[in-house]
Amino acid sequence: MIVRAFLQTLVRRRGRTALALAGIAVSAALLLDMTMLASGLTGSFGEMLGVVGYRLRVTPKGILPFDSEAGIQRGDEIRRRIEAVPGVRAAAPILGAQFYPARGDSVGEPVFTVGIDPRAQALYRLLEGEEPGPGEVVASQALAEAEGLRVGDRVALAADLDVSLGRARGTRAYRVSGIGDFWYDYAGQRSLAMRIEEVRAATRRPDEVSLFAVAAAEGVDDDALARRISAAVPEVSTWSTRELMVEMDRRLLYFRQLATILGSVAMVVTALLVSTIVTIGVRERFGEIATLRAIGVRRGRLLGAIVAEGLALALAGCLLGLPLGLWVAGRLDAILLSFPSIPAKMTFFAWEAERVALALALVVAVGALAGLLPGVRATGFPLARALREEAE
Amino acid sequence: MSIITARGVTKEYPYEGDSVHALRGVDLDVAAGELVAVVGPSGCGKSSLLNVLAGIDPPTTGTVSLLGRPVYALGERARSDLRLREVGFIFQRFHLLAVLTAAENVELPMAEAGVPKAERRRRARELLEYVGLGHRLGHRPPHLSGGEQQRVAIARALANAPRVLFADEPTGELDRRTGEEIITLFRRLNDAGTTLVVVTHDPGVAAHAGRVVEMADGRVVGQGGAG
Repeated sequence: MIVRAFLQTLVRRRGRTALALAGIAVSAALLLDMTMLASGLTGSFGEMLGVVGYRLRVTPKGILPFDSEAGIQRGDEIRRRIEAVPGVRAAAPILGAQFYPARGDSVGEPVFTVGIDPRAQALYRLLEGEEPGPGEVVASQALAEAEGLRVGDRVALAADLDVSLGRARGTRAYRVSGIGDFWYDYAGQRSLAMRIEEVRAATRRPDEVSLFAVAAAEGVDDDALARRISAAVPEVSTWSTRELMVEMDRRLLYFRQLATILGSVAMVVTALLVSTIVTIGVRERFGEIATLRAIGVRRGRLLGAIVAEGLALALAGCLLGLPLGLWVAGRLDAILLSFPSIPAKMTFFAWEAERVALALALVVAVGALAGLLPGVRATGFPLARALREEAE
Repeated sequence: MSIITARGVTKEYPYEGDSVHALRGVDLDVAAGELVAVVGPSGCGKSSLLNVLAGIDPPTTGTVSLLGRPVYALGERARSDLRLREVGFIFQRFHLLAVLTAAENVELPMAEAGVPKAERRRRARELLEYVGLGHRLGHRPPHLSGGEQQRVAIARALANAPRVLFADEPTGELDRRTGEEIITLFRRLNDAGTTLVVVTHDPGVAAHAGRVVEMADGRVVGQGGAG
C-alpha cells in the first residue's frame, strides 16, 4: 500500500514527472544507440564477410582486403595451393580495377570493376540474367540504372584513359549477362564484374589477384584453417572473419570510445534526473515519511517505496526511450551510411536483444540506485528531529 | 498499574557546538486508562518527553518502560513493531497520505501489521464512522477540512487497537469548535479504556484530562487533577 501510495505521488505531480520521464527517455535512447553502435559496425561487418559462406580472406602479405593496390602475383598457382589445403572448399579470386564507360570519344564516370571466377565468386547475388561468360559483364543495380543497362545490352568499356586527351584507350564492347546485387558496394556505387582473365588482359596484370575469398568445408574451424593456409602459403596473409573483425574493432576504436563516453554521460544524466526528482518528492513528503516512521512503518519498507519511485521512473523512461532510440538509430544509420566507401548493406546500429536488455537494465538499476540515496537520507534522518522540524 | 514509566529521564540535543537540555531528570508514571495532559510553555520539553515516552527518541540518560517493556532496550525493528501494534500517534499536522482516500489512510497501519484486506476495510469503515466520517470514506485528504483530516488521523491512530494513544498538540491547527470536537472524541476513547497522553497548549484539552502534568525548563514542576 505504501509503495502504491508513493508511486501515485509521481502520477499526482504529472508535469514534473513528465519532464523527468522525457529526460530519462532521451538518456535511455542515447545509451541504447551507443550500445547498438558499440557492437553494430563490427558485427555487421562480420556478417557481411561470411554472407555467402566465404569467411576467410587471403591478401598480399600484411595488407587488409583492398587496403592498397598491391596484388598477389602468381595468382593461379597461389589459388591451387590454397585449394589444396585440407578443409578448403573453394578459393574465389578477386582482382580489382577501374573501367570507364566509353561514349564515342569521351568517357563516363569510372566504374569499379572486379575480375572474378564465375564458378566461385563471393561478391554479388544475381538478380537477373546469368554469370558472365567471355566478353560479358554483370552490372550492379546502381550502374544498370545510371547507364540504362538491361540484360543483353552491350556496353563499351575502356580499362585505360589517355589523361592528356581525356579519351578512352583500348575500348571494348561487352554484353551485359546479368544484373547483380553487390554485397560490399556503398549506396549508389557503380560496379561491374567480369571474368578475371579479361580484367587481367585489359589491365595488363597477368596472373595477378587482389585477394581471395576462401570458403571452408563444412565443420572446419575458420581460425584453424587460416593457420593452415598461412603455413602452406606463407607469402600471403590469411585472415579469418574473427581476425578481420578484431582488426576492424581496432580501427573503429574511436567509435567505441565515443559510444562509451556518450553512454556514460547518459547514465549520469539518468542518475541525476532520477535522484533530483526523487529528492524533491521526498523533501515534499518529509513530514509524511516521518509520521509513517513514527506510527511504526519500518524504515526498510519506506526505503523500498522510495527506491520503487526511482525504479518506476527509470523503467517508464526506458519504455519511452526504446522506440525513440530505435528511431534515432535508423536516422543516424542512414546519415552514416551516406559517407563514402561504406557498404550500404552494413549497419552501424545492430539490434542485439541481450545487449539492449543489458543497457536498459543498467538504466533501471541506475534509477533504483539514484532513488536509494535520497531514500537513505530521508529514512535515516533522526525521527524526533524530523517530527520537531515538521511541527515548527 | 502503570503502563508508562519514566525514571531519571534526561534528553540533550547538540546545537551549534553546544547542547540543549530538553529534559532534566523526569520521573513519570501513567496508569492504564488515564488521560494525561502535559502542559507548559513553548520549549519546556513537552514534545521531547512525549517522543521519549512513545519510543520515538531515546533519552540521553534514564529508563522508559512502555506497556511493561524497556523500550530502548529493544532493537529498532522491535520498537517500530511496538509502535505499530500497540501505540497510536496523533500529530499537530495530520500528515495523511494525500494520494490515498480517508479509508486507505486508516487501512495503512493495518496493512503494515498484516491484517487481511477484508478485515481492514471493515475496520477502517467502522473507525471512520466512529470519528463521524462515515460519509467521507472515499475522500482524499486535500478534499477534507482540517478537523476532518485530524479525525482521519485519529482513526488511523486507532487502526491497530492501540492500548496507548500519544497526541502532540492535536488541536493546534484547528479552530476552537473543531478542537472541542476532537476533545470530545478523546474523552470517548478514554471512557472506552484507552490510555491517552496529550501534549497541549489548549486549556480545553487540559480541562478534560484526568491528570495534568505541568512542565517548565525540562522538568515536571507540578501534577494534579484537571481544573
